[in-house]
Amino acid sequence: MRIDLKKMSLQEKISCIFILANTLIFLVTLLLFTGINSMSREMDMVYEDNMHLNELSDALTAVQDSMTDYLNAKTSDSLEEFYRDEQTYADMVEELNDEIAGTAFLRMERSIRHMSQEYLDVVGQTIEAKRGRNVEKYRVRYENATQMYGYINTYINSLNSERFRNNSENYSKLTNTFRRFEMISILVLAVVIVGNVVVIIRLTGGMIRPLKRLATSANEVAKGNFDTELIPVAAEDEIGIVTKAFNQMVVSIRQYIERLRQSMEIQQSLKEKELMMETHLKDAQLKYLQAQINPHFLFNTLNAGAQLAMMEGADRTYDYVQNVAEFFRYNVKKGNETVTVREEIELVDNYIYILNVRFSGEIHYEKEIDESLLSIQMPGMILQPVVENCVNHGIREMEGKGKIWLKVYQEEDVVCISVRDNGKGISPEKIEKILNGTYREERHVGGSNGIGMDNVIARLKLYSEMDDVMSIYSGGENLGTEFVIYLKRKEQGEPYHVQGHAG
Amino acid sequence: MKEKNVKRTVWISGILVLLCVIAVCVCMFLFLSYIRGFREVTDADSYDKYYVMITKDRKSAFWQSVYQGAYQRGLEENAYVDLLGENLSEDYSREDLMRIAISSGVDGIFVEADEGERITELIDVAVDKGIPVVTLFGDSTHSKRCSFVGVGSYNLGREYGRQVLKIAEEQEKTKEKGEIQVAVLMNAYTMNSGQNIICSGIQDAIEQEKTGETEFSVSYITVDDTNTFAVEESIRDIFMEERLPDVIICLNELNTTCVYQAVVDYNQVGQISILGYYDSDTIINAIDRDVVNATISIDTEQMGGFCVDALTEYYLFGNTSQYFTADVTLIDKSNVAQYLKGGGEGED
Repeated sequence: MRIDLKKMSLQEKISCIFILANTLIFLVTLLLFTGINSMSREMDMVYEDNMHLNELSDALTAVQDSMTDYLNAKTSDSLEEFYRDEQTYADMVEELNDEIAGTAFLRMERSIRHMSQEYLDVVGQTIEAKRGRNVEKYRVRYENATQMYGYINTYINSLNSERFRNNSENYSKLTNTFRRFEMISILVLAVVIVGNVVVIIRLTGGMIRPLKRLATSANEVAKGNFDTELIPVAAEDEIGIVTKAFNQMVVSIRQYIERLRQSMEIQQSLKEKELMMETHLKDAQLKYLQAQINPHFLFNTLNAGAQLAMMEGADRTYDYVQNVAEFFRYNVKKGNETVTVREEIELVDNYIYILNVRFSGEIHYEKEIDESLLSIQMPGMILQPVVENCVNHGIREMEGKGKIWLKVYQEEDVVCISVRDNGKGISPEKIEKILNGTYREERHVGGSNGIGMDNVIARLKLYSEMDDVMSIYSGGENLGTEFVIYLKRKEQGEPYHVQGHAG
Repeated sequence: MKEKNVKRTVWISGILVLLCVIAVCVCMFLFLSYIRGFREVTDADSYDKYYVMITKDRKSAFWQSVYQGAYQRGLEENAYVDLLGENLSEDYSREDLMRIAISSGVDGIFVEADEGERITELIDVAVDKGIPVVTLFGDSTHSKRCSFVGVGSYNLGREYGRQVLKIAEEQEKTKEKGEIQVAVLMNAYTMNSGQNIICSGIQDAIEQEKTGETEFSVSYITVDDTNTFAVEESIRDIFMEERLPDVIICLNELNTTCVYQAVVDYNQVGQISILGYYDSDTIINAIDRDVVNATISIDTEQMGGFCVDALTEYYLFGNTSQYFTADVTLIDKSNVAQYLKGGGEGED
């Protein structure tokens, strides 16, 4: 019972309980019935002795009567009857007690037995005498017999009444006992039934409890609280199976929700990035458009100027106008595209040329470039603003000849583009602010295409998806500044994933 | 924890079930045995011998005491003694009871006999049938009885005589009287030889031990005891006479009680001295109140015991002593206290 309890199905369990309970009640009832039955049998037996004695008395009278009958009429019929009666009586007498017992009843029975035997002898002799027609003898014997008949009858009657008195007493005692037994039976039955009910309630309660817990838990889950505790599985019945399944389900739901949340987060960040990219680009373009009111018009105008210079044979003017035209074309063409490092460097070359023309060769420009890295992809309009920054803030405000070094090299799998000047230098606080994107300079109108360092850094970050996209080193006051741009190696042809959205 | 609870519940319920069933079983068993106890009268002990005692007046304290003596002695010898006629619805005479005893196949009969012919005949019939008979208190000398148990009647008579002399001495001191009349109440059934012997004992004692001048006249008054209530009537008759006796000697318990009551009723206390017989409560109380002068206490239990002893001996050796004599004690004012206190020491 103990081992099977866990593995039994719900139906089996409940059936077991009910069968047990019913069996118990059945057993108790059976026992009580047996008790009551045997008691009533006892009660029936109470007056049995009296009935026996009455029968004995009747048989004795029958013998006496049939003897008298025979003596009177001497018919063979009466003789036959006499013998029958005598036999009956003798048989009954045989059953009487023959022991000298301590009980008066039994001793009286013994006396009756002995007297009856003698009586039967005398009666037999009387009949013999009658048959032998010995008148004298049978008269005497008849009288003897009658006297003894009287004695025996008295004995039987006395015994009967004594017994009756005793039995009546017993009967009333028995009745009382019977009543008491009845009461006790009812009490026992009531106790058993109450006990049964308690046990049934407890057992079924034990079985139903997991179901209740399951219901509570399910309610919680239905309300949306998936963090409910898992329910322990107590038994392997149907409830156990359902509980297990429920637990599994809750765990699965939690996992699914987690996964969904993660993917949503990713999407969210992607969307954010895209939006930022677009904003920055738009910002750059706006700045650009503000600066160059109409690049196309300007470009065409410049082209016309270049042609005019060529026709007039002014080669240097032609070159200058050509360079300026290139510079603006680049802006028009590549302003919003991914470009190669080569194109960016060409733009810087153009810019430096234009500046040198403007400022009559004041800026010394040196390049040290790993040719193999020229086809690396990078966002457009990065280098030129950096160089412009160097010129505007580093070189222009210094004494003497300004120098700008451009260097493209590879460190492990990161492509570094270094722009260094020998200008005024930047304080570390400023560097920090620039890199954080919190530095706001008062806008220089002259000579800038308006793209700030913050814009550059932001676009680089978006492009390369890493935080460390630029370093700024400065030796201090008048010791120059070096900007290093780090690029992930992306060869031409590899898609720039923002491209699609930006176009 | 829950599982443990369930297990515990299962265990507890199991134990409960067992307890219930056991309790019910025990209950039933107790009830049934209790009930059986009513019906089956204890017949545990059975006895080797069955003796019956037949007396004229089985209800008197005297005979009840004798019977108790015999009964107790019988139990020791593994014999059961019945006072015959006790449980019967009809009141049978001694002769009828003798006949019943004879045909009941008893092992021995103790009978209060007398010299009457019918009783003698019946004793002979019994003995002829192999049932030994012991005569008790009254003898049937001509019968074939194997033994007689009684009191030494002659000595008893002498004791009565001495008491009469003592009373005479006391009366001499108080008043002058010519002759002291002594009345001995005799039962009409004079066939009892014991009475006669007592009478001669009384007379002998008076004649031989008389010291003073006082004359004694001993008379015998016959009390009719042939009918059931005749004794009381005939005793009352005595008190109707003109000349009342000075001393009345009673020779049985019933006579003593009747005389005592009559003396009180006729206001003769102190006038008539009573010598009683047997030490029933009534008589002892009477001595205490100075109504009865003295009484004879017979060791009744010893008497009953002798009956059984006689038959035991008879069955053992085929013969037994012809006479057994029970002890007799005189109770008077001097020693009545110890009988009073005992409440019945000598009776039960």
